[in-house]
Amino acid sequence: MDRLRSIPSWQVTLSVALLVLGFLIAAQISSEGPRIRYTTQERAPLVDTVLGLQKQQDALKAQILDIRTQFGALEGQLPASAAQEKEMNAELEKARIGAGLVQLSGSGLVFRLEDADVGAGAPVADGLVTARDVRILVQELWIAGAEAISVNNERVAAPTAILDIGNSILVNSAYLAPPYEIRAIGSRDLYGALTSAASFIEFVQDRVGPSGLRLSFAELDDVTIPAYAGSVTVRFMRATEPAVP
Amino acid sequence: MLTTSRQRVAVASVSLILGVLVVAQLHGQVVSGGLAAQSAQDLTLLIANLNTQNEELRGEVAGLERQLSSLTEARSRGQSASGQLSADLTRIQAWSGTRVVTGPGIAVRLSGDIDGQGVEDFLNELHNAGSEAVAIEGVRLVPGVVVAGRIGELSVENQALGTSFEIRAIGSPEILTGSLTRAGGIIAQLAAVYPGLAFSVTPLDVIEIPATTRDLSPIHGRPTL
Repeated sequence: MDRLRSIPSWQVTLSVALLVLGFLIAAQISSEGPRIRYTTQERAPLVDTVLGLQKQQDALKAQILDIRTQFGALEGQLPASAAQEKEMNAELEKARIGAGLVQLSGSGLVFRLEDADVGAGAPVADGLVTARDVRILVQELWIAGAEAISVNNERVAAPTAILDIGNSILVNSAYLAPPYEIRAIGSRDLYGALTSAASFIEFVQDRVGPSGLRLSFAELDDVTIPAYAGSVTVRFMRATEPAVP
Repeated sequence: MLTTSRQRVAVASVSLILGVLVVAQLHGQVVSGGLAAQSAQDLTLLIANLNTQNEELRGEVAGLERQLSSLTEARSRGQSASGQLSADLTRIQAWSGTRVVTGPGIAVRLSGDIDGQGVEDFLNELHNAGSEAVAIEGVRLVPGVVVAGRIGELSVENQALGTSFEIRAIGSPEILTGSLTRAGGIIAQLAAVYPGLAFSVTPLDVIEIPATTRDLSPIHGRPTL
């Protein structure tokens, strides 16, 4: 006790500070695996450029959604005599909803797919979520009867591709970092239909389990799936016949 | 208490390093959101991808603004805008898959053993390469349509595919062909995984892709405008 009392308080302060310092250094080092393998400073401008471009993309998408909303409002301002236009407006609205250009809400599921914990036992590369894993989950949800799906707020629409980019993924050309949240709207039986499918069971047993990927879900009464905010301009195809009834 | 200036300097130095580390840790985790994990090569690829996509989005914004201005003008003059509405309707229906469409593109015949996941990987690459409409054995691909099944049991929309089937895609024939057949591309990757699988890619000036037979209107989802 006498010896403890004799330690000057500044030494105690310094010891505590050094302890925290050591903890932070250890945390920094452990957070660099397995996804962080590159530490060179020359990549910093590239990262800044990506962040800047992603910010621009978010702003452009918000602008597109805003203009589409203005369209909806203008199209609704029709004189009572314009019966043909009103009918066309209704068809247009239906087409936009079917195309995924309108946000939807309804009962459904939310999945969270995450990398394996470091040290889970599986090889590091196998423990990272890939674009193929996300695609499989999306496909299984479609097969189970989902009627709208998004991945980290990117709506899965007709031209959507889900690609690997390094250790992360691109959806609708938007850069998405893990963890991945896959939302789906469907019937109350969506989860039952999904989990009874042999191909989903196979995915969980052969891929998720052995690799240590973390897959969790929630069944919700109200899931919101955002509108597709990308381009619907086509360059090569032309419509030839009236729409199917 | 800190009695000497040496002691004060020691504590101040440690506190400074501590602060820098805390900021670095937070910055790395929150701001870059995983970008720090990417190699310079991947970041460059990502930048190219984002630039292309942003250019397309700017074009979309410009087109929408023109249409909005024209519609606003028509409304203010009390004129009909049915011509523009009709054009919009056609464009959206063609894009979403509820209209028959034609255009240049490619026809790809796959012959041999492949499972549903392999075909889905191929279709994903077709979308990535810029195809605007895709059909597999006459079934238009729209959200919800999935090619599934083990080798020899492939089906799409309850239609069996057999061991030889054709995929058609509208888009630039040169770009689509180049993307699929490049060294290390999807055809090379699938050929390595599915031995004996053969691909035949034919660029065509005009192909027709049918409309989907699905009703794309949601039953459980409510539009929230």
